[in-house]
Amino acid sequence: MWWLTNIVWVNRRFALTVFAVVCVTLNAVAQELRWPADTPAGVALSIASSGSGKARLYLLGPAGAFRREIQLGQDVQISGRDLSTAGKYLAIVCSDTCKTSVFFVVAAAAANLTFLVHPSRVPAGQQDAISGVIFPFDRFHNLVLDPVAVTFKLSDAGSEVMSNTVPSRNGVSWFRANAGSRAGIEDLLASVGPVSARRVVRLVASDPCNLRIKAQPSKSGIAVETEPVRDCAGNPVPDGTIVTFTETASSGKSTVDAPIKQGIARAQMVGGGRAVISVASGVVLGNEVRVSEGQ
Amino acid sequence: MNRLAPRHIVRLAIAIVAVGLWPASAGLAADIPGLPHVDLAVNAAGPRTVETLTVQSVVRDYQRAWQSLADSFRYGEPTLLSGYFVGPLRTTLSGKVTEEARSGLHSQYLNQSHKLEVVFYAPEGDVMELRDTAEFDLQIADGSKTISREKVVSHYVVLMTPSADRWMVRELQEVRNF
Repeated sequence: MWWLTNIVWVNRRFALTVFAVVCVTLNAVAQELRWPADTPAGVALSIASSGSGKARLYLLGPAGAFRREIQLGQDVQISGRDLSTAGKYLAIVCSDTCKTSVFFVVAAAAANLTFLVHPSRVPAGQQDAISGVIFPFDRFHNLVLDPVAVTFKLSDAGSEVMSNTVPSRNGVSWFRANAGSRAGIEDLLASVGPVSARRVVRLVASDPCNLRIKAQPSKSGIAVETEPVRDCAGNPVPDGTIVTFTETASSGKSTVDAPIKQGIARAQMVGGGRAVISVASGVVLGNEVRVSEGQ
Repeated sequence: MNRLAPRHIVRLAIAIVAVGLWPASAGLAADIPGLPHVDLAVNAAGPRTVETLTVQSVVRDYQRAWQSLADSFRYGEPTLLSGYFVGPLRTTLSGKVTEEARSGLHSQYLNQSHKLEVVFYAPEGDVMELRDTAEFDLQIADGSKTISREKVVSHYVVLMTPSADRWMVRELQEVRNF
């Protein structure tokens, strides 16, 4: 009969082991909350929990942390406000032991655009002179990393100069553009769906083009003045731009800097004897005028 | 309101003094023990090329940003964030530090290592986007009881912008993967 007693004893031991394993498993299951994989920012969650009894929930996100007593077997409510920041959330449920779950909140739809444009003033007609960078953010200031179509439009005095749609990559989209040929205000508009941002760039006249002077005798020497100073696109060069007149004579060289006033720069040179008067503005050289005494 | 133990006060004072001295010790960051390890790759950067001095500055300032983040959580002191975080991100992180301190929770970021990669450097050099694959030990305690401790590999999308003398972290968003 010893073998029969032995079998009963082994079966009882096996049954106890199974019971223990089931208890451990049930305990593990009891702490389980079914979190979503990814959820959009600002959306409230109702999380189903299994098991029974009380437990403590810790939720640690990128913007906050809270601790709350929960009743297992009932749904756990998490408000959208607690889930408004994109990033990783750690949910730790503790009863006898603690179990950690992870889920991610991703940015909601784009609601704001950060639009960086450079420069604020640019000479007309320059190639690749304007650059713009767009970062789309949702209404909770989360960077929208999913690709979105960003449309850039440049317009000059109401007429569209350029329009281009560039998909964002890694949450950023950018462009380069040529400056228009007419001085004035250039509008830049970036839009993602119904959301848009506007910036302006002031186009100023470029370097002078065809800089020409004329000279005539005056009471105190020689009066020189430029023709109306314009860039190559015909934009008047701004008042205040310095024009340099240089007189080279046998007695030496003299230089006068004069600002443009109402489109024209004027200067009074000493004169006397034969001389050559030249003109320059920045890196641009103009014509030369030869004068002699009595002319 | 949690009371700080005297040894924590001393550590907090050291951390505040260290934050104050950081600008003076610029360029030595890599040699200071205890700062997170940061590697930076610039091969994928564009449209602007990242200059060598910029690489050094970004590494130095990103190290210090994470050190100040870890110290801020460790001591429950949001003001430690002000040196290297800016904009809504600083407000968000400060809120989290304050909330954790109020609720008695403590997060600790230990043994940090960061692999940074520049994915975008704006044409005018006024903003840089990076990807960070970070490894650290994250320990979370409720009072004196540790409720979670694990080795974490995290992926962050980072925006940094230059300020007067350093690069500031403007966006730090953790994502599931790149």
